[in-house]
Amino acid sequence: MRMLLLLLALGASPAFAAPAKYTLQPDASLIEFETDFGTDKITGQMPITRADLTLDFKNVSASHVAVTLDSAHAEASFPFAAQAMKGPKVLDSVDFPQISFESTSVTAKGEGAEVKGRVTIRGVTKPMVMLAMIWRQKGHQAGDLSHLTIRLTGAVNRSDFGAVGWSDMVGDQVRLDILARIARSD
Amino acid sequence: MWRNSPTQFGLASRLLHWTMAALILALLVLGTALGWIKPNLSTLWLYGLHKTMGLTALSLAVIRLIWHRISPPPPPLGPTAHWQNRAARATHLALYLLMLAIPLSGWIASSATGLDVVIFGQITLPAITPTSEALENAGFAMHGILTKLLLALLLAHIAGAVLRGLKGDGTLRRITKGL
Repeated sequence: MRMLLLLLALGASPAFAAPAKYTLQPDASLIEFETDFGTDKITGQMPITRADLTLDFKNVSASHVAVTLDSAHAEASFPFAAQAMKGPKVLDSVDFPQISFESTSVTAKGEGAEVKGRVTIRGVTKPMVMLAMIWRQKGHQAGDLSHLTIRLTGAVNRSDFGAVGWSDMVGDQVRLDILARIARSD
Repeated sequence: MWRNSPTQFGLASRLLHWTMAALILALLVLGTALGWIKPNLSTLWLYGLHKTMGLTALSLAVIRLIWHRISPPPPPLGPTAHWQNRAARATHLALYLLMLAIPLSGWIASSATGLDVVIFGQITLPAITPTSEALENAGFAMHGILTKLLLALLLAHIAGAVLRGLKGDGTLRRITKGL
């Protein structure tokens, strides 16, 4: 795979001069999370419900990212962690079955992009910064931007959202790693 | 041999007494340790072990009470109205209440966390309370207070038994050898 954002710096081909809309390929997408549990880690996955992206390879700042996660079907590295995470003291996934992130600005940074936005967890919305990297998917020809892989990484402090359960045992910072495979939809 | 007589403890009562004594001692040590250790993946099983032992102790307490209905234990040695015997009966009554209340308070608190209460690594017990942080906090606080009360009563129980053993009135021998 080749880093696609080089295209952004060099100027995209005429076909991608305008913003392009992409939608999620859910079966090939995944979010992983990790937090501290004493000297160990709790890891897990959460399905991505929706990812709508508008990518402007000519003008990165015109790009927009919106991702929705299904917290009610989250899984963790051991059963108690999944129960605790989805329970009322952490994600309260019965009342808040989704986590959402929507960008407010996208700027090129290094080989990727910095995506600033707002994340909503347990009905509480807070600012969040994620780093984005984009690649062309395997099996697609160079220049074929119809299928892309976007990786978003970032972290939240769960206490900011009132998800304070088991804070004496489990770390406050939760690190997120979203790997979304997307296909052009327009 | 198994049943109690008007003057002697049968084997069933003695086995229940000493099995529960060992179990409660181990539970006190493990429960205290769990209050001190920092949980991680390598210590997580100890919480399951504590629940397994606690629910076993509760079951044995119930079995013991049923057995004492079927085969009543002998009364304390010596005059019934003597202050030592009145104190012994009160202590025994309180110990039985605590042997029921302590595991139940742990079960209530654990149920209130919303997490499964799993014993023997595979049996999930039903939740006996709804998920509630208030119930969880109250349950665990009660669990701790009652356990300290149990510890104090056990010390009194052991001291009384040792004193009677030193006097050689037969109380200690009845529950050890059944004679």
